[in-house]
Amino acid sequence: MALFAAGLSHKNAPLALREQLAADEDKVREILRDLVVGGALREAVVLCTCNRIEVYGVADVPGEARAAAFRHLCRQRGVEPFAVDGLLYTHTEDDAIRHVFRVAASLDSMMVGEPQILGQVKDAFALAQASEAVGPGLHALFTQAFAVAKRVRTETDIARHAVSVSFAAVELARKIFAGLSGRAVLLLGAGKMSELAAKHLVEQGAFPVYVVNRTWSRAQELARALSGTAVPFEELPTALAAVDIVISSTGAPTPIVTRELVAAVVRGRGARPLFFVDIAVPRDVEAGVEDLGDVYRYDIDDLQSVVDANIRERLREAQRGEAIVDREVAKFRARLGDVEIIPTIVSLRDRLEEIRAGEVRKTLARLPDASPETRAAIEALSAGIVNKILHVPITKLRESSRAGAHRSWLALVHELFGLGRRG
Amino acid sequence: MHPHLLSIAIVAYVCAMGLALAHLVQRQPLVHRLASLTTLVGWVAHTFALLLLAIEMGRPPLGTLANAVSVAVWVVVLLEMLVERQSGVTVLGAFVMPVVVVLSLKSSAARPAALAPALGNAWIWIHIALALVGIAAFVLNFAGAIMYLLQDRELRGKRPGRFYHRLPPLETLDHWTYRTLALGFPFLTTGLILGAVWARTAWGSVFAFDPLAFFSVVAWVIYAGTLAGRAAGGWHGRRAAYFAIIGFAALVITLGAGLFLPGRHGV
Repeated sequence: MALFAAGLSHKNAPLALREQLAADEDKVREILRDLVVGGALREAVVLCTCNRIEVYGVADVPGEARAAAFRHLCRQRGVEPFAVDGLLYTHTEDDAIRHVFRVAASLDSMMVGEPQILGQVKDAFALAQASEAVGPGLHALFTQAFAVAKRVRTETDIARHAVSVSFAAVELARKIFAGLSGRAVLLLGAGKMSELAAKHLVEQGAFPVYVVNRTWSRAQELARALSGTAVPFEELPTALAAVDIVISSTGAPTPIVTRELVAAVVRGRGARPLFFVDIAVPRDVEAGVEDLGDVYRYDIDDLQSVVDANIRERLREAQRGEAIVDREVAKFRARLGDVEIIPTIVSLRDRLEEIRAGEVRKTLARLPDASPETRAAIEALSAGIVNKILHVPITKLRESSRAGAHRSWLALVHELFGLGRRG
Repeated sequence: MHPHLLSIAIVAYVCAMGLALAHLVQRQPLVHRLASLTTLVGWVAHTFALLLLAIEMGRPPLGTLANAVSVAVWVVVLLEMLVERQSGVTVLGAFVMPVVVVLSLKSSAARPAALAPALGNAWIWIHIALALVGIAAFVLNFAGAIMYLLQDRELRGKRPGRFYHRLPPLETLDHWTYRTLALGFPFLTTGLILGAVWARTAWGSVFAFDPLAFFSVVAWVIYAGTLAGRAAGGWHGRRAAYFAIIGFAALVITLGAGLFLPGRHGV
C-alpha cells in the first residue's frame, strides 16, 4: 500500500488542456466510484480547480493506479491520453504528503497565499468522503493538511499583504490612518477599479462616501451603489476639504486636482492627513501635491510597485511556510506508520482472543463441576498467556513503524498468524 | 553581588538589542521570542541588582545620578515590555533597546560614590523620581518619533519595504508621540521646579552653574516648545517628530553632562 499524488497544474500544463480536463462534481463522483470500486485504487480524492487537476490516492502499485486514473479521466473528458502523458507528475510517499500540504497551504498556488485553494481542497475531500472513496490513510492525510494550512496561514504572513491594486490602496490607507472607520471618501470620476477600491474602503468602515462626476446622472447612480452622496462638480473644493481619502479615475486630459487647489484645502485641515489614490491615466492629481504637508499621493504605477513589493514579501514568507511543511511532513510520516499498523494489531488481538475463547470454552465443558473461582482462574490464566505472547510482536511493530520500516514486518505478522489480507 | 547582577542585566540588554534588531530585519517569531526572553531576563537581573543595592545602602538607589539613570532604564524596559505586549508592535524593542543599552552603559561607567551631602531631604528624592518618570516617557517618545519618520519615509518614497510592513500607521505613531510628550512633560517640569527650589534652599541660589541643570533646562525648553506647538499651533507629524528627536538629544546630553562633568549632580 502506498500513498501518491499525481496530476497536472498551472506550472506545467497549458490552460486549454486544463479546461478540457476539468470535471464537474457529478463527473468527479463517477470517476471516484469507478476507480475505487473498480479496485485500481484503495482510496482516492480528486481535486479539480482551474489551476490544477490532481488525484491523491492510496494504491498497491502507484504507477498503475496513476495511469488508470488519468486514462479514465481522459476518456471521461474526451482528451487523448497521450496529450496528458508527458505533463503528468507523480509524487509518492513523503513527496506526496509534502505536495498535499503545500497545495492546501497555498504554497503551490499561482499567487502564493491565495485563500481559495484551501476551500477547494476541503470540497474535494468532502466529495470523496461522500462517494465513500476515503479510507483511514487519506482521512489522516487531509485532516492534517487542513491543520498545516491553518498553521502556515497564522504563523507566516503569506496571505497578509495586498496583491491587487484596489486592495493595495486600502492597505496604504491603513498605514496612514489609525483605522478606517469614519474616514470620509471622495470618489472622483467613475471606473471599475476605483469603484472596487471604494467598496473595499466602505467594507472596512470608511464613511461617508461622496461622488463627484461630470455627468450628474452617473454620479447619482454610483452614489446609490455605494450608499453615498452625489456632489456637483463645481463643489469639488468643498468636498476635498471634507474628506480623508480621494480615489480618482476621470478621463480628463489634464489634472483636475491641481497643486494650487490642494494647497488651499490643506491649510484648514490641521493634523488630518489627505490621501490621494489616482488610478486615472493621464493622471488626475497633479504631481507635487505630496509636498504640501500631510498629503500622500499614489498613482497607478506607485500602487503597482506596492503590489510588487507585497508579492516579494509573500514569497519571502513562503520560505517560512515551506519550513513548517517540512517539519509537519516528518511528524505525519511517524503518525501514518501508526495508522498502518493499527489494523494489523487489532486483527492479531482478535485472532488470538478467538483461539483463547474457543479453548477455554472446550476446557470448561469438560469440567462441569468447576467452581466459579476455578472458572475465573482459567479465564485469567489464558488471558495472561495471550497478553504475554502479544507483547513482543506489538512492541516490534510499533518500533518498526517509527523507523518507517514496518511494511515487511506487517507482511511477516500476517503470514505467521494467518491473518488474511492486510490493510 | 549586585555588580555582577548589573553586568548580567547589561549583557542581556545588549543581546536583546541585537535580537530585536535582527527581528526587525528578518521577521522571525522565534527571534522575537528570544528577544523578549532576554529582555525579561535582563530586567529581572536588573530588578534584583537594584533591590540588593537599595538594601545594602538602606535607601532608594537614587543617590547618584548613575544609580538614578539605572532606575530610569529599569522603568523604560518595563514600559517597553508592557507596551509591546499590549500594542502588538513587536518591533518596538528594536527602537527602545538601543537607547536602553546606551543609557545603561553610561550609568555603569560612573563609579559608585558616597551619598552627596545635599541628599538628606525627602524633597530631593521626589525631584529625582519625577525626573526619572519623565525621562522614561521621553525614551518612548523618541522611539515613536523614529518609527514615525521611518514609516513616513517609506510611504512618501512609494517604495514600501521593511518598515511599511512592520510598523503601525502614521496616525497611531503621531498620537503615540503626542501622548508620551504630554505624559513626560509634567513630570519633567515638576522635577525641575523641585530641583530649583531645592537648589535655592541648599546652596542659596537657583542658577549657580551646574551642567546638568543647564542642559535639562535646554531640554525642557525644547519639549515645552513642541508641546505648545502641538497644542496650539497644530504641529504634528514630521515636525513634531524632529522636535522629539532634538529634545531627546538634549536630554541625553543632560545626562551625559551630569555623569561626566563636575557639578552638583556629579559623581
